[in-house]
Amino acid sequence: MYYLTHFHTMHKFIEDFMEDVCVHLKNAPADEIAKATHILQSVYERDGRIYIFGNGGSLAIATHWVSDFNKTVFSHNLEGHTRRFQAIRLPSTEEEMSAWANDIGFDMVFAGPLQNYLQEADCIIAISSSGKSPNIIKAVELAKSRHVPVIGLSGFDGGKLNELADAKIVIKTEPGNYTVVESVHHAILHLLTKYFQDYFDHLQARNEKRQG
Amino acid sequence: MIITRAPLRISFVGGGTDIKDFYEKYPGRVISSTIDKHVYTVINYGRLLDTFVIKYLETEQAKHPSEFKHTRFRETMLHLNVVEPGLEIASFADLPGNTGLGSSSSFTVALLKAINAHHKIPVSKEQAAKLACEIEIDILKEPIGKQDQYAAAYGGFNVFQFNPDGTVDVDPIFIDYKVRADLEDHVVLFFTGITRSASAVLGEQKLTMADKFETYKQMSDSVLVFRDKLVAGDMKGMAEMLHEGWERKKSLSGGISTGAIDELYTEARNLGAWGGKVLGAGGGGCLFFIAPPEKHAAIGAGLRERSAKLGLEGFKKIDFDFSQSGADVLFNSLSHHA
Repeated sequence: MYYLTHFHTMHKFIEDFMEDVCVHLKNAPADEIAKATHILQSVYERDGRIYIFGNGGSLAIATHWVSDFNKTVFSHNLEGHTRRFQAIRLPSTEEEMSAWANDIGFDMVFAGPLQNYLQEADCIIAISSSGKSPNIIKAVELAKSRHVPVIGLSGFDGGKLNELADAKIVIKTEPGNYTVVESVHHAILHLLTKYFQDYFDHLQARNEKRQG
Repeated sequence: MIITRAPLRISFVGGGTDIKDFYEKYPGRVISSTIDKHVYTVINYGRLLDTFVIKYLETEQAKHPSEFKHTRFRETMLHLNVVEPGLEIASFADLPGNTGLGSSSSFTVALLKAINAHHKIPVSKEQAAKLACEIEIDILKEPIGKQDQYAAAYGGFNVFQFNPDGTVDVDPIFIDYKVRADLEDHVVLFFTGITRSASAVLGEQKLTMADKFETYKQMSDSVLVFRDKLVAGDMKGMAEMLHEGWERKKSLSGGISTGAIDELYTEARNLGAWGGKVLGAGGGGCLFFIAPPEKHAAIGAGLRERSAKLGLEGFKKIDFDFSQSGADVLFNSLSHHA
């Protein structure tokens, strides 16, 4: 009997978590994700750069996305694509991060390096589950002041990040539900990678057909 | 040095309803997309020059921008308060003007982006579109609408709604790459070799606005139907709407269609085009068709032959893709000192 109860509880936990992630993934704002694809497409056309950043787990997601987006998108024909995406995680080294944090303050770890790089042809992707992290908001405000498009991945009530972002990808949850928000953010970033991978595959197939 | 560019556009449905005489009575709507052809402007600050220099097909040099002959250069520079001598501005374009692809407004938008970047003033898409409208419509009094300025500033596939109070709603259309690529496979664009300034014909249209109000209203409403067909990837449906629209528009102004254009259009239809339209309010510009991909070669060959008989020496197919990005600062050597 004990075994059975325990079994049920374990499964209930697993099923509840899966359900929580699925429901929030399903409810993610599709139009805003579509806007994000427009922003990334535009940056590609004008040969701009994409700066992505977040704190903690969000920074890990950012790093993961960069490796996918810069390479996996084109991996079916790496040689053929001389122009590829230029996604860069900020800060690009731990040394840079500690220098800004130690010397200036932790709220400048993203805005500081971003100011070194940012050009008008670029865009940024800011990831913050609360949408409130001061270091994220500082960097977003810098981008906004130059009319550089902002893709904002937030959670909970969206916070200031969602207010400021051009593509407002908010995963609405109760405050503190980091696990679900981060899981969904990761899935959406994979969606963006997959979208552009399929897109470039499609273009290649079409070009081959045109050339007969 | 600063380099900016703004895209040209293909307007599908609703052109003409973006004119004030109409939209102050009923919301005007236009559905369009930008293409991968651009107008570029380059600004350089020649520190030892004591004049202003502009370069386009001609080169002008003056002590003050008010002396320039080129109206859009002149008024944009004056409106944006370009006062320090030494500024050299040049423009380049992937396609010539008066082709019906909105290049005049693309030029104004690219130029004002460049001048503002030089002044270290960032400009949003909305501000760029509004400024271009101010310069072209309010200051230069050109009898044109607002669709081109907005298309150039925003980029991509959009429905623009021109409200009676003068505001403009921009509704981006979310189509995936498959529909976009499919559309690219179905469309074909020809420059007729005939150029005529849009202002001339739109001036004629303005006079008859009262008579044509109902037709314009229909055109404005049909924009939303066209958008739905686009989102659904219904190529034939869109083509048929273009054909109806072209027939309707022909009745609006004698200048819109010339004999030669009519002949080419009919020829393309006979060769398998489902529908199309003339781009450009003038009796020239470009011919745009939606046709099954396998008919494109025959349509191209047929129209080439027919245009030669008509003596249209400039007739040419224009290869293009649609684009997403609007007016951009591509390079700014000053940006790190902002």
